[in-house]
Amino acid sequence: MATVVSTDRLTKDFKTGFLRPRTHRGLDELTFEIPAGGVFGLLGPNGAGKSTTLKLLLNLLTPTSGRAELFGFPPGDLNARRRLGFLPENPSFYEYLTAEELLTYFSGLCGQSADDARRRSSALLDLVSLGADRRRPMRQFSKGMIQRVGIAQSLINDPELVVLDEPMSGLDPIGRREVRELILKLRDQGRTVVFSSHVLSDAELLCSNVGILARGRLLASGALSELTARGKRGCEVVASAVQDELATRIHGRGLRATRIGDGRYSFELDGGQPPEPLIAELAAAGASLVSVLPLKTTLEEAFVELVRTGSEAAVKS
Amino acid sequence: MTGRRGVIATLMFALGSVGVAAGVLHARESSYSLPQVTERLLYLKSAKAADRLALSFDSVVADIYWIRTIQHYGRDYKNRKQTNRFELLYPLLDLTTTLDPHFLIAYRFGAHFLSARPPEGPGRPDQAIALLEKGLAATPGRWELAHDIAFINYLYTGDFKQAGIWFDKASRMPNAPPWLKQLAATTLARGGDRKTAVEILLRMRSSEERYIQLAAERALMQIAAIEGAEQLTAIVNAFKARTGRYPTSWQELIAVRMLQGIPGDPTKTAYAYDPATGTVSISEDSPLMPILPTLLGK
Amino acid sequence: MTGRRIGLVAWHVFKESVRDRVLYGIGGFSVLLVAVSLAIGQITAGQDVKIIKDFGLATIELAAAVMTIFIGIGLVSKEIEKRTVYALLAKPLPRWEFVVGKYLGLLLTITVNVWAMGLALFAVLAVLLFISPENIRMSWTAPAVDPRLLLVLLLITAEMALLTAVALFFSTFSSSALVSVVFTIGVFIAGLVSTDLRHFSDIVVVSPAIGKTVSAIGWMLPAFSEFDIKSQVVHGLPVAGGFIALTLLYAAAYTCALVGAAVGVFSRREFK
Repeated sequence: MATVVSTDRLTKDFKTGFLRPRTHRGLDELTFEIPAGGVFGLLGPNGAGKSTTLKLLLNLLTPTSGRAELFGFPPGDLNARRRLGFLPENPSFYEYLTAEELLTYFSGLCGQSADDARRRSSALLDLVSLGADRRRPMRQFSKGMIQRVGIAQSLINDPELVVLDEPMSGLDPIGRREVRELILKLRDQGRTVVFSSHVLSDAELLCSNVGILARGRLLASGALSELTARGKRGCEVVASAVQDELATRIHGRGLRATRIGDGRYSFELDGGQPPEPLIAELAAAGASLVSVLPLKTTLEEAFVELVRTGSEAAVKS
Repeated sequence: MTGRRGVIATLMFALGSVGVAAGVLHARESSYSLPQVTERLLYLKSAKAADRLALSFDSVVADIYWIRTIQHYGRDYKNRKQTNRFELLYPLLDLTTTLDPHFLIAYRFGAHFLSARPPEGPGRPDQAIALLEKGLAATPGRWELAHDIAFINYLYTGDFKQAGIWFDKASRMPNAPPWLKQLAATTLARGGDRKTAVEILLRMRSSEERYIQLAAERALMQIAAIEGAEQLTAIVNAFKARTGRYPTSWQELIAVRMLQGIPGDPTKTAYAYDPATGTVSISEDSPLMPILPTLLGK
Repeated sequence: MTGRRIGLVAWHVFKESVRDRVLYGIGGFSVLLVAVSLAIGQITAGQDVKIIKDFGLATIELAAAVMTIFIGIGLVSKEIEKRTVYALLAKPLPRWEFVVGKYLGLLLTITVNVWAMGLALFAVLAVLLFISPENIRMSWTAPAVDPRLLLVLLLITAEMALLTAVALFFSTFSSSALVSVVFTIGVFIAGLVSTDLRHFSDIVVVSPAIGKTVSAIGWMLPAFSEFDIKSQVVHGLPVAGGFIALTLLYAAAYTCALVGAAVGVFSRREFK
């Protein structure tokens, strides 16, 4: 699979303090890859280094050491910039312009002709549902509208790679859903979408691949499915016509039994335990099997686990 | 362009351009100058008007006028070919000192600028003395102002009596240095001769004010030059006595070993010699010219 | 392509200033001028031409300087503070084009303002010419509607071009708009007194080392005082063409230095 973004031991130190300067390591030897197509989530708590990573990729910051490549070019290279779009965190745009004017401005900067600019602006504003407000000056826009303008401007040059820094911050639930739907639409158009967030549930709904950062370090990166499958829980067996004493006995052995209904119980097995012996036991007791389902950890649990243990692992997809 | 090379390149470009700019400005200054507009310097012709308009900012406005005075003096000092040089010096000083009557430096330096003879200044000791007297009216106890009036009388107007009177007045003022009394006595008694002049000038040369030091230094050099000329005249006359005619040039005197080389004044400028009359004088080109009239009479 | 992008950035600076109601300052100036000239006409006879020219030109220069300093600071500082620059720099726009575009945009804004105010001044002078009787007109040392006033406007524009460059430079590397303003005003004032610094040792007796150092500083500062031909033109005195040409050349050279330095600083700038 082609790689759109790759970094090699990317490190960024920040100097803080005026009289006695100290260095704060914002990013420590970050090495990961973002494959083409699909949605990549860069996740982590606040201050983990997500924005730093994105800014390093966009040449808004220069690395202290290490390298990064976009489409094979160094960050800041015009060849790379032509193929990407960026939405900064908490964006603001020129208040004195209308949404339409902003898009035509940026369109011109991307080298598009005036006609093209008009067409694309129109289309993009419709895409983000701002068609009706295209002529209003942006100082009148709400935060959600600004966010949508931001997404629109990031698409002005029809980019292969769309980078969104905390695109859902500060939005109400409707706004968040709209952004989520947009991201999926972009993915369906064949683009690679990279976004950063500290809200894991969004990532679960959207991402095919993730990278998890904490305190400047990469804790894990790879396919979401593999990450969540690493959890300890194994499967859940649901059976009916189970006698209560049998359930209590099984529960006593350490397999969590939960009463769902009359004679209906669910039993949880850990990752290492195969379900077959239990099924056989239940069948022997006259119970009938309803379902056997594998249990995945949620991303949140995986995340908390990783952050707590501080372990580093890279699961290659 | 990033990295060290980029930084150095940018720096060199910026400094280089500033250098070019400075060069252009210098070229402009040498080739072209703007005609002076006098009204702009004064802006307000009347000192009283200035005083009223300055409201409570008198001292600051006085400072501004003082700066303009210095600018004006400096500019005209350099511009030897201009007509009406230094004509605004007195009005500017008058404005400055009306706005701030305690501006000691304005009185003292101002008087010094005003007295200096052309081409160094307008040669107006009368205005200088008037300015200093204005200063004494505002600040009666300042011995420096009385001392300066004496000095100007001695050196520029040649009025030894007045000089002596003012040295005396100065010596009676608070904090006056003790040697003023001696100076007063000497000036009044023998103001007219060269020995006294040298004595007084030597005293002046150890003054704390640098410009007084320089003025005294210069006067002393002039006296030395005059004495040099007199000695040379004696040599020329000796030659005449011996040969019956004046020598044709310095070379002749050197040839007969009455001189060891072309004689020069303390600034090393050769003395001028007129073979027709046998007169030795200080060359017109000498930086010591013009000689103070008070020294010529001795 | 480069030209188009720079042009776009510049045009948007101008657009912002127009929508920012800067142009209302022009209207205000014209009204002020008319009011002053009418009042003066009552008091002095024959001197009103000079006073209107003096006052008008001084106002134009001062207004332009204030405008330059305050808009100029906002040029880059504000963009960084408000983060509008982040999205822009992700576009295929080289950073140097951004800086140059900003400079040209502000220059355009200031030039339009200076010449619009100049036009207002000319209008007032034309009115004065129309209403003044013949004998008063004879007493004027320079015509009321004097084409040489255009030379003054030209040099004011050049002076502002240089001041804009100073404002731009400080705007690119300072994070705080207040600091930029202070430095720009400081350099402006220093530039106004630079003539005296250059000729320091002619007047004041100091050691040659100090004299040379002060002089050198005077030569390095942008010489804002050297653009002033207002009194000469108002009094009808001649100003050499070569003088004007060299002055413009000076402004151009120094501006290049500052814009170049601004490009250098901005290219390396990091955005936390």
